[in-house]
Amino acid sequence: MKLLLTGVNHKTAPVELREKLAISQEQLSDATRALLEFPGVHEAMILSTCNRVELLAFHEASSPDLLSFLQSYLGIETVSLRPHTYEYRETDVVQHLFRVASSLDSMVVGEPQILGQVKEAYTVARSVGAVQTHLEKLLQSTFTVAKKVRSETQIGSSSVSVASVAVDLAKKIFGSLEGKRVLLVGAGKMSELAARHLMQQGADSIFVTNRTHDRAVRLAQNFQGHAVRFDDLYATADQADIIITSTGSQEHIFRKEHGHQFLHKRRNRPMFFIDIAVPRDVDPEINRVDGVFLYDIDDLQSVAASHLADRTREAHRAEAIITEEVQRFHRRTKALNATPMIVDLQSTAEEMRQAELRRAQARLQSLTPEQQAAVEALTRGLMNKFLHMPMQAIKAAALEADTVMLEVMRAVFNLPSAQEPTASRAAEKPAAAKSEEPIAVGNQKDRS
Amino acid sequence: MYLLWLRVAAVLYGLASMSALPAVLGDRPRWQKVCLPLTIGGWFFHFVAFVEMLAAAHRLMPVGMYQVESTLGLLIVTAFLLIWMRYRTISFGVFALPLAFLVVLVPAIGPDKYTFSSSLVRSGWIVIHVTLLLAAYVALIFSLLASLFYLAQERKLKDRESPGFLEWLPPLDTMDRIAQTTLVFGFYCMTGGLLIGSLIAQERVGAAYFLDPKVVLSFLMWGLYVVMLFVRRSTGLRGKRAVYLSSAVFVVMLCVWAANIFSSVHRFTTP
Repeated sequence: MKLLLTGVNHKTAPVELREKLAISQEQLSDATRALLEFPGVHEAMILSTCNRVELLAFHEASSPDLLSFLQSYLGIETVSLRPHTYEYRETDVVQHLFRVASSLDSMVVGEPQILGQVKEAYTVARSVGAVQTHLEKLLQSTFTVAKKVRSETQIGSSSVSVASVAVDLAKKIFGSLEGKRVLLVGAGKMSELAARHLMQQGADSIFVTNRTHDRAVRLAQNFQGHAVRFDDLYATADQADIIITSTGSQEHIFRKEHGHQFLHKRRNRPMFFIDIAVPRDVDPEINRVDGVFLYDIDDLQSVAASHLADRTREAHRAEAIITEEVQRFHRRTKALNATPMIVDLQSTAEEMRQAELRRAQARLQSLTPEQQAAVEALTRGLMNKFLHMPMQAIKAAALEADTVMLEVMRAVFNLPSAQEPTASRAAEKPAAAKSEEPIAVGNQKDRS
Repeated sequence: MYLLWLRVAAVLYGLASMSALPAVLGDRPRWQKVCLPLTIGGWFFHFVAFVEMLAAAHRLMPVGMYQVESTLGLLIVTAFLLIWMRYRTISFGVFALPLAFLVVLVPAIGPDKYTFSSSLVRSGWIVIHVTLLLAAYVALIFSLLASLFYLAQERKLKDRESPGFLEWLPPLDTMDRIAQTTLVFGFYCMTGGLLIGSLIAQERVGAAYFLDPKVVLSFLMWGLYVVMLFVRRSTGLRGKRAVYLSSAVFVVMLCVWAANIFSSVHRFTTP
């Protein structure tokens, strides 16, 4: 199996270069088909995301220059591209692919999108016939490993962006966000983003208020929410479960007494204040009110930072899993390689044939050279006929990745194990050939 | 034979208690997959033991301390499983499963030494009285646990503690709903249990029964229960005040349990 992977990612190439190389979802089928037709390539897949463009190929003879493919397909000068690319071969390809799908090579380690993107690339490649036996096995193992990393480590369990941390905290308070109301006080990019996240997670309705009412109306329209006049803020605030503030006010807009007032009206149902403004809009004292929870921008950032540290710790565990899985994949691939097994089977049978001929030599002395040649041809023909069915079975088992069947065949024909090094196997062969009664022949006799 | 099933149940509860620690505190999904089947298996064998115990004695009533403890254990695990089914949280397993294990352990060791020999306990109404009150105790335990979890989660969110410690706690809203639901359920059970008990006592013993310390404490507990429900419902009481109230009722509940020692009439041995 000869694997080759060439590509660029966020660590090796600037965004200006990556965007030139990016292959859109619409182009992907066509590009994969073109890669498959590239000389030397037998199977192929293209992974193109905002952070990476990678060409994966299975080839049999000399390795194809995949950068030339990029040059011809995208019309990009490879001289400027070459310093930014990386290239992996054989086991390194397996390891790289496992790491990419498990999100260990991502810009934000543990982000969940990459596995979906690899699966999409695989689906496209499969639909154009670019993924067959070899890449199929590799990619199926890749998905299994990525799933294992997700389930056995906590790599993607916590949020690392301020907006998603806010959503997580809201869920810790309210459980589900279904039916919850959000009040956006002031209009800032980050508060808008946080509100959008909350709405995506099921928050029911949004109220927007701003000192400039027109701006509040425009923003409310974006969210299909309701604009509230700034003067009505305190009369409306108790209806909101989550309040996100990001005004430019120099004084606190919400103070402790407001907290008491809102909670009283809400019959102590909890409220969550997310204060993204600097200077802060919410008096920190409000957090002392039972049922009111306040997080300012520093709090959210420190939670995000600690989650990121957790992910880094989990990434070490994930790396250990991947190392183990790469070795397992390598062993499995070796076990599924039918060629050495077929060679072993043929040489064992040939040794047996030769041994039987030597034993019958005395009785065949009287034959003419033509008759001896006929016996030679007859025994060889019989051997080949007998071996035809088991060899077909071995090939079929290898194609279907049926390791049990392959092991059974090894045991039945007394072939060396797949794990045994080739050198020791080679050393055993001449010794067996020299023997008058090879062990294989003896065993064969015993069984018959 | 029921002892064998009870021992199997005790072993499964023990294993479930151990697996609950990594499943809940470590948030390990694999351990959750181990913990729940062990608990369900334990509950199944416990239920078989319970039915066999009653069938073998040709009666519906657990008539010994061990048997009552075993019934309490069964109710605790049933409540845990119902909460898991309704709210998809196994956080209660950290406390409920070891508690069920300890409660079942003693009855699983050997047969009852102390049994209620009074013919009164053979009454069908007594069965309902005991079962309802045990269910009320279990509901109260879970309500208190939910309130304590609520308080811990509230503190954690207020103090902005870094994740890791107490990360396993369920959301505040879930805890609040569990606390409310179990409280209301427990109230219905306790009211029904006390009502039936009072009717039986009125019929068999007469008015003197109501001067017994155990009975007086039981009605005090019911009164406190009503107050707690009223306050929680009318003011939406949550957090530490809710814990104080639940704890007060729980302490009275323990007193009611312990009052059997001082009770002269709430005894079911033959004179």
